[in-house]
Amino acid sequence: MRRTAPIIILTLICALLVSMAAAVALGPSVISFGSLFTSDNAWMILWEIRLPRVITAALVGCGLAVAGTAMQALFRNPMADPYIIGTSSGGALGATLAIVLFAGTGRTVLAFAGAMIATFTVYFIARRGGKIPVETLLLSGVALATLLSALLSFLMYTAGRSLHQIMFWLMGGFWNISWNDVIVALLILIGGAGIYLFARDLNILALNEEDATHLGVNVERAKQILLALSAFVTGIAVAVAGSIGFIGLITPHVMRLIVGPDHRFLFPAAALAGAILLVWADALTRTFTSDMPVGILTACFGAPFFIYLLRSRMKA
Amino acid sequence: MKPIEIIDIDVSYGAKKILEAITFHADAGEILGIVGPNGSGKTTLLRAMSRVVARDNGEIRLDDRDLDSLGHRELARRVAVVPQDISIGFDYTVRDVVMMGRHPYIGRFASETARDVEICDHAMLLANVAHLAGASVHEISGGERQRVLIARALAQEPKILLLDEATSNLDVSHQVEILNIIRDLAGEITVVSVFHDLNLAAYYCDRLLLLKDRKVYAAGTPAAVLTRENIREIFGMEMLVKPHPLTGKPYVLPVYMHQSSAGENRRVHVVCGGGTGSDILHLLHAAGFTVTCGVLNVLDTDYGTAMHLGLPCVVEPPFHGITPESLSGLRKCLDSADAVIVTAMPIGRGNLDNLRVLLEYPATPVLFYARDRSTRMEDYTGGEAGTVLANLEARGALRVEGAEELLARLSRDGSERD
Repeated sequence: MRRTAPIIILTLICALLVSMAAAVALGPSVISFGSLFTSDNAWMILWEIRLPRVITAALVGCGLAVAGTAMQALFRNPMADPYIIGTSSGGALGATLAIVLFAGTGRTVLAFAGAMIATFTVYFIARRGGKIPVETLLLSGVALATLLSALLSFLMYTAGRSLHQIMFWLMGGFWNISWNDVIVALLILIGGAGIYLFARDLNILALNEEDATHLGVNVERAKQILLALSAFVTGIAVAVAGSIGFIGLITPHVMRLIVGPDHRFLFPAAALAGAILLVWADALTRTFTSDMPVGILTACFGAPFFIYLLRSRMKA
Repeated sequence: MKPIEIIDIDVSYGAKKILEAITFHADAGEILGIVGPNGSGKTTLLRAMSRVVARDNGEIRLDDRDLDSLGHRELARRVAVVPQDISIGFDYTVRDVVMMGRHPYIGRFASETARDVEICDHAMLLANVAHLAGASVHEISGGERQRVLIARALAQEPKILLLDEATSNLDVSHQVEILNIIRDLAGEITVVSVFHDLNLAAYYCDRLLLLKDRKVYAAGTPAAVLTRENIREIFGMEMLVKPHPLTGKPYVLPVYMHQSSAGENRRVHVVCGGGTGSDILHLLHAAGFTVTCGVLNVLDTDYGTAMHLGLPCVVEPPFHGITPESLSGLRKCLDSADAVIVTAMPIGRGNLDNLRVLLEYPATPVLFYARDRSTRMEDYTGGEAGTVLANLEARGALRVEGAEELLARLSRDGSERD
């Protein structure tokens, strides 16, 4: 443990609160502090539109970062992300089905169902004799994602007028977020807390699985629970905001450099950083563009960063 | 009640049988070494004992409790494993890694207590890594990392310590340092260790288990297990087994036998002594010559070599001169020898007859062999030996230097004769 870790986490908490306050104040229509008391319209924009949106962005960022951190430790690969086992492709297919078949009704539910079904399909494909070798899990994830994206392409091909809506959803963003979505997104905190209880196990699992067994970790059960919780958290995030890339890949990585690899500190640090990152990404896109999908922005910054990581790992 | 009892277990990976009908036990506080050639199932046996691999049947009992009845955490509190050097992907400190040894004692909703910290400190002290506590596991050397893994195992406060060739990637100095730490721990802890190096196993273990082809081939004290016959059978190779000059434990030396047919059917007699002939006895034997030697005293180094190589040798008791009986034995050897080699041995009254007798065989080529230019025959006879040597040279004896020249000369003589 690094002695600075608790200070960094405290700093991140303050930074998140400030960021959320700033993000509520930012937006295409300027709202002054005074107008909150004089204009019902200003109050409504703040309370009904911006506040739930900012809270949801924070929760989704937090969830993606936590799930990404867990996946990277579980797969012992700092390049792993929360979508690695097919969760996002499943979610995308579920949401697209809802848009094509029911004009968007039940989109959240179907996206969540799709994400979970895809994850568990991958899990059962990879499972053999009660064990899930991580290599097989990764490869089944890739294989299933390819199949699902073919189905998705087919749906988009037949979608006609709703194609635009599908495209928007796929790129990820926080339009039309209401307090109902906030309630759904709050489930992320429950899943995240569950994952956090395995922080010490993940420290050990990050060494290798056989070693973890020697230290008293029930490896297969821990893997099952962590996969299920990560899929749950990611599934909620995807259902609420579409598949927003790179947050779950990059925040754990950067925070590991700052607070060290001890997951008892890494989880809260990554969760807070993920939240801050997504709150700002959303605030910037909706203030300075005509509400461009936020996934475009995270990908624009995330992909070059990913390449940088890849290059520096190749050197090492 | 034994700390470990293994009763008739079989282990297989898929359809492939790795271990068959293994039965043995470890006594409390001993170091039990598992040895055997590659692929004999050593590591698998250890992995069965730590329950990383399942067994097909049979029973493993720890302190009379069935291994399978123990929970994951309970098992980790009894049995600790020191693996071969593992790569640690994330940048943990030494203290972080050692503290992982406390994992089976700390509940899911709890965190480490002062007592856990104390136990870690003590474990780091025992394994001699206390000074590295704050260092990253990436900054330290392989030997230090291995000691960190030992400290982590000790932090588990185990009754049984399993080591899987825990030192085989290290320099010999680090191997000895780590095994000394383990030796000090034995007594309180029962240690079972896979060894690649038979000599380390012989020195550090109270008992050895020798595996061959998935089965136990021999078990017992190092001296009882590491016999020349067992080793020949197991490794398919000749080895010298001698007591270590300092420890008295068995010491195994490979003979590096490289059979060739260069000297096929040719007989060479070697007159040597005091260790001056050991290298060429081995060399000529390996090159396929039929070698005889003598006359030598029992206890002479060259005599020991001849016995290990199984060469016929004319002998006298220690510090005894050459008797007429052994002289006739020597003549028998010389009668059938195609060549005679005289090594650069010290010559005294006790062995002068070895040279004199050569004058009776003017037709047999004689080679004076010296390992290098600086080697000389010391004359302790007051000049008599010098006269004999001069006579031998006068009738054609040649001086050769180094093993290569010797072999070249012998093969030339052979082809001239043919």
